[in-house]
Amino acid sequence: MNRIEEIIAIMEDVSRYPAKAIRESMEETGKEVIGCFPLYTPEEIVYAAGMIPVGLWGGQKEIKKADKYLQSFCCSIMKENMEHGMEGSYEFLSAIIIPAYCDTLKCVCENWKAAVPDIPLIAMVYPQNRKITAGVEYLVNEYKRVKDELEKISGKKITEKELEESIDLYEEYRKTMSQFVAIASKYPRTIDAKKRHSIIKAAYFTDKKWYIPLIKELTTELNMLPEEAFNGIKVIATGILAEPEVLLDTLVQNNITFAADDLAHESRQFRTGVSNSGTPLERLALRIAGNQKCALLYDEEKTRGQLLLDLVKEYKADGVVVFMMKFCDPEEFDYPIYKKELEAAKIPMLYLEIEQKMDSVEQIRTRIQSFKEMLTV
Amino acid sequence: MFLGVDIGSTTSKAVILDSKLNILSASVINTGTGTLGPEKTVKAVLSKAGLNEKEIQYSVVTGYGRMTYQKADKQITEISCHARGTFFLKPNARTIIDIGGQDAKVIRLDEDGRVKNFAMNDKCAAGTGRFLEVMARILDCRINRLSVLSQKATEEINISNTCTVFAESEVISQLAAGVKRENVAKGAHKAVAKRVAGLAGRIGVEPDVVMTGGVALNKSVVDALEQEIKEKVTVLKKPQIVGALGAALYAFEMIDM
Repeated sequence: MNRIEEIIAIMEDVSRYPAKAIRESMEETGKEVIGCFPLYTPEEIVYAAGMIPVGLWGGQKEIKKADKYLQSFCCSIMKENMEHGMEGSYEFLSAIIIPAYCDTLKCVCENWKAAVPDIPLIAMVYPQNRKITAGVEYLVNEYKRVKDELEKISGKKITEKELEESIDLYEEYRKTMSQFVAIASKYPRTIDAKKRHSIIKAAYFTDKKWYIPLIKELTTELNMLPEEAFNGIKVIATGILAEPEVLLDTLVQNNITFAADDLAHESRQFRTGVSNSGTPLERLALRIAGNQKCALLYDEEKTRGQLLLDLVKEYKADGVVVFMMKFCDPEEFDYPIYKKELEAAKIPMLYLEIEQKMDSVEQIRTRIQSFKEMLTV
Repeated sequence: MFLGVDIGSTTSKAVILDSKLNILSASVINTGTGTLGPEKTVKAVLSKAGLNEKEIQYSVVTGYGRMTYQKADKQITEISCHARGTFFLKPNARTIIDIGGQDAKVIRLDEDGRVKNFAMNDKCAAGTGRFLEVMARILDCRINRLSVLSQKATEEINISNTCTVFAESEVISQLAAGVKRENVAKGAHKAVAKRVAGLAGRIGVEPDVVMTGGVALNKSVVDALEQEIKEKVTVLKKPQIVGALGAALYAFEMIDM
């Protein structure tokens, strides 16, 4: 096994067994762990508080208890998170942070208090008009509140220096990941869609100080190899999350790879950096203000379609695959707008309506294979 | 000789083509994937053509059961095969509506017969042949008589098109309230048409519209579909074998290449 394979195997192990990876991180670092619901939870503040932020993006548990709080038409990530919380899978968390971006998340904040009373909740609300001065000031105050709550849990004050250092670390993470995905697109056989997903996903369950050097090493090792020839189909993935894994297996079987992505779980996490000026919390708030083209952040100009067109052009992709998480309203609202733009540009598009736990994927298998045949036969 | 096999959820179809692309034989067996249907249909189609397995130069399998059928040389999706089969029979076709036993698909073709776009129903049975089977059972009517029953309707009633299970209890309530069977039958056909028209709306409809799959044999669904999508719908002579024909055409191309 060469070093590239070794690092990929480590990342796959972390992604497949997140609870084990988190417990190991806790043991190695002696740090407490804070659960972060999607999407742009201020992990930098958690890290500055001396704790490890871990991403809570659902799973593949059979929903039994969460139905008590979330109806069948609610987002499956939220149902999965609630199920895990109620089942006790998150018992190692010192608290969770839930940012209320959408209607389901708003309700989940209240549901959580009743359903999982043993894990304290820090709820926060992002401003709709995040770019105007009042929006930035409001968000800075929300971050202050989150910081105060975290200080109560950790029992220590977070200094400006600690915040700056944490922001620096996360900026390094974002830069490292941006470099990794750019390089990975040149090695579609070594870093196929599934491996790419696992590598990016592993960041959610580990200390960034452990994760970043490994990704840098992987990127360096890849860069030393000649670019890989690829006779399959290169796509841009868009949506919230490209799971369950069987979807990625099917894409790989059909020789379809991700040239780049616009997934909330992947590139949207690291494609926008913080501002260089202001106090640490202002820098974080300005990062959200500058973050564009995401269904969860109000975009009056509706620029997501153009982003997808640009990505298709830049990476010479053959099409766009839409991972539509049931029933994510913000993503569904965006879809007709960018669909029209992609159709006008004659970009082939595959729409996959997904849930995190899918017992039957036969029809999705047919759709993926048909998409491949549409482009190749 | 070239064999195409289409293994659906409720039927198994097969077509044999000669090297001049004449259909030598076709077979439809009313059992689908997971049964002996696929083997029976291949046996039947070979027997009708007076051929044995060794005389088949290449075979392609398609349909819901394509992954589990090991005897074919290649597997291709039913979307590609319906497109190929339809375009072969009707080169003016630009939209295909294929309603089978368990799923419904709308396929858009370009002027060269290539698939431009497609839409498929989700894992729900509404808008498929299964919905009509359930309705026929409640109405105590044979599935092949459901359309005839519907033609006798004197008024139109609405039946939920979102869920087969909801629709079933809704129909029982309608019957209990004294609504005539034929009116319920018409409502059931309309429900299928509305559901499929919604699917078609996702990718748009362009004439000529051609209907394939077993449900195309049901005139009431075809009539209701024409009303819903506001386009003439052409039903091919043997709509059930179009997928198998497309598979046989692909088999021919594999050798011809």
